[in-house]
Amino acid sequence: MKDKLANFNSLPKKELEALDRAAGWSLNLTELSEVQRQFRKMGRQPARGELETIAQTWSEHCKHKTFSGPVIFRAGAKVKRYKNLFKETIVKATRSLNRKWCLSVFTDNAGIVEFGKTGKWGLAFKAETHNHPCAVEPYGGAETGVGGVIRDILGVGLGAKPVLNTDTFCFGRLDTKKRLPKNALAPGRVMRGVVEGVRDYGNRIGIPTAAGGLYFDDGYLLNPLVYVGCAGLIPVDKIGKRVIPGDLIVSIGGRTGRDGIHGATFSSANIDEETTASAVQIGHAVNEKKALDVLMRARDLGLYNAVTDCGAGGFSSAIGELGSETGARVRLDKALLKDTRIEPWEIWVSESQERMILSVPKAKLRRLAAILDAENCEYCVLGEFPGDGRLLVTHGEERIVDLPMAFLHGGVPNFEKPAEARKVKISCKPPAAPKGGYAKVLADLLAHPNVCSRHSVITQYDHEVQGGTVGKPLQGRYGDGPGDAAVIWPQAATLDLKDFSGFAVAHGFAPAVGRIDPYQMALHSIDEAVRNLLCSGADISRTAILDNFCAASPRDPRVMGDLVLAAEGCYDGAMAYGAPFISGKDSFYNQSRDADGKEYPIPISLLISATAPVEDVRRSVTMNFKEPGNPVFLAGVSLRGMGGAVYGEIIACANNAVAPLDMKAAVKLYSAIARAMRSGCVVAAHDVSQGGLAVTLAEMAFSGGLGAELDLTGASREDGLTPVELLFGESPARLVLEVDKSRETEFLRLVKGLPVAEIGRVNEEPELSVHDGGEALFSSDIGALKASWKKELI
Amino acid sequence: MIIEIRTKEKYAKNEEAGFIGRMAHAGLKVKAARLSRLYRVEAPFSRAEFGRLGADLLTDKITEHYSLSQWRPGLKKAWRVEVWLKDSVTDVVGESVKGAIADMLGKEPETVRFGHAYYVACESEVKLRHAVARTLVNETVNKFRIGKI
Repeated sequence: MKDKLANFNSLPKKELEALDRAAGWSLNLTELSEVQRQFRKMGRQPARGELETIAQTWSEHCKHKTFSGPVIFRAGAKVKRYKNLFKETIVKATRSLNRKWCLSVFTDNAGIVEFGKTGKWGLAFKAETHNHPCAVEPYGGAETGVGGVIRDILGVGLGAKPVLNTDTFCFGRLDTKKRLPKNALAPGRVMRGVVEGVRDYGNRIGIPTAAGGLYFDDGYLLNPLVYVGCAGLIPVDKIGKRVIPGDLIVSIGGRTGRDGIHGATFSSANIDEETTASAVQIGHAVNEKKALDVLMRARDLGLYNAVTDCGAGGFSSAIGELGSETGARVRLDKALLKDTRIEPWEIWVSESQERMILSVPKAKLRRLAAILDAENCEYCVLGEFPGDGRLLVTHGEERIVDLPMAFLHGGVPNFEKPAEARKVKISCKPPAAPKGGYAKVLADLLAHPNVCSRHSVITQYDHEVQGGTVGKPLQGRYGDGPGDAAVIWPQAATLDLKDFSGFAVAHGFAPAVGRIDPYQMALHSIDEAVRNLLCSGADISRTAILDNFCAASPRDPRVMGDLVLAAEGCYDGAMAYGAPFISGKDSFYNQSRDADGKEYPIPISLLISATAPVEDVRRSVTMNFKEPGNPVFLAGVSLRGMGGAVYGEIIACANNAVAPLDMKAAVKLYSAIARAMRSGCVVAAHDVSQGGLAVTLAEMAFSGGLGAELDLTGASREDGLTPVELLFGESPARLVLEVDKSRETEFLRLVKGLPVAEIGRVNEEPELSVHDGGEALFSSDIGALKASWKKELI
Repeated sequence: MIIEIRTKEKYAKNEEAGFIGRMAHAGLKVKAARLSRLYRVEAPFSRAEFGRLGADLLTDKITEHYSLSQWRPGLKKAWRVEVWLKDSVTDVVGESVKGAIADMLGKEPETVRFGHAYYVACESEVKLRHAVARTLVNETVNKFRIGKI
């Protein structure tokens, strides 16, 4: 390799590509040629460290070249061009909505919105993916995923205090019959490792893990998706940060080792038989807790001017980002190392965990050092930010990197990617009545891995630490019902026990819909997330959302087509619901190749994470039936179409039409329900999602230990709707509400003119009976329903 | 020195049942199993000092026992599976214990590594090896060995 590096500027294309593969940079030929051109212009050959820096900085992970690049989209005769897909969809919605309560969007490590009544606090929220590392080493990958997203919150503004972790995972079916390639870990092994990694990191660092989800599909057999999120509180006067020329570059937290070399470029590569652990980092929650404690103290004393986390790309990315305007002088021989055998360029790009970079005025270093020593947190001064816009990295006398920042951050070439709409054959044939009866289908659906209880995972996490988890992941009379949203009272950060302001966090995720219609997938996901927030009693007029896209290789125009349609759905959904995107992330190349060269791509997957304020956490709402005699209402219109429904996985159903979301009607309905919830009329609310209406009713019943006698005659529905579609269809924008019987009249007044129908009453008898006019659909014992649902996943 | 920590028999049923279930999922019928945690402490300490670490630092006296020599669980036709992180992989538990030992004894060991031992009574070593590779270890980061007991 040394020979090739010495002659880099004159290498022919084939040798350039071979060098890229050998070094693990994941740069394409256009990018490699641009690097050659730049160095020819400079009149010298690049150093290894410079090429590594360029590869990290220009990686998909750091630059998001696919989503923020130009795209030409074709759907039949229709052609649409985007100069920057991300800016023209996601960012455009946020800019158009222009919400005053959005304090920082798309400019920092996380988005920040206003929090509480005092005007003193902001809520920072971010979700990340750590998919590729988890496919190789699930425990370490998940741990460092959690550690990474917590550092994003620590590195937003001058640092926010984390108060909530979230986790959403996609795995292959645990009972899969598919034969795995040699390099793949079985889905059960991946799931166990990921859950344990999230548990150990979150529990040890002392942040509650209280919201998320699990999804099983064989599309994720070789490429699990691990979405990890974090929310934190930051004083509004600590949101701004600016590196001042002359500031010192101080690294705090963990030491630097050979772990995690090439993590950023690894995420742009297919996972194959050759993949090794060198791209995987190992987490150390206690070290990160020390850094957290130092940052919170030093921030409040104003001991640094800027901070960011060492994530993908390590020092290269973090120092490069902080010094993008000022330049940076870095002396790598000052770094604290785990391993003395490390090469200088490896120190520069290593992704060893738990490191934060601070920009510290020289006069304040002594006071900062005192806090670091008191917290037993290691640190080193790596250099300074000079103000000349030049990045100079040395190790002793050796020059590792000497590049203008303008080239590093602005030099990446981008090219138009073709995108095309997939053709999916849609069948609208009405589904036939199931042979075993509706009660049997309901029991089977409740036991389905995408519906059944997640208690065996949830109970491994500490969701109570910090003492502010009001809306818990498991709810109801017995503390085991499936909550719609986490409601957090962040008094551990505000230290104000008289202010009951809180916030709710919920998710929407619909990859099964995405297989058929990526546009509707985005709408359904936004709708589900908002509806879940509504069920908890949050103020959905101030919903802020995060987008996390995961997809297979963007070199496939159909994958790009799915992305374009989903991004358009995001724009339309955000505009309709008035919910700006405040941050997000994308992860591509989630596809694997086995020894025979066969590709395994994931389906297009979009996780919408949403947050909204809860004015008074004491008035938040849970999902279980509360009192016999209370009326039960179904809100929303049930539509035809079984596309994307779990029902199709247990009973062959030719119907794959996706029920479209009527956004305008949904917003009108939710506004009225939100008013009713604020007035205190609603005592329980639960969304209709996976498994359909019958599953929602069953969950509300067995979580409350109460039955219900229901008749769906009055329920709003599309003409020609079959009982299967009514009970098990997953058309969006529906929720079930239990209303206080003494306030039914007031409730009816608030929802007058909307598709909200009383469907029966909560019953003391432990029986869930559902009729539709003269037809008895099913009658089941709630204990038996719960027994079907309460499976042990781990 | 390897310090081995095991759950007292009357409290060990859940972890054993969970392990047997995992092995069954990997296609191995396990007749009986016992589990323990291993701490490899590389340091020139006396046996009494290692004993103090086992008794006062690493063991919950109510629910656990420790031993400084390999445990003999009394299973018939059984194998011992020892699983460690590879030496090149950061061992967070080992690092924490290393710090705790320094706090307790006033001298720091060179290395501490954390691992697991599984005592498994089953039909064949070949099947056991296959099940271990499928469920207990990831050979990217772990090393393991199986020995007859």
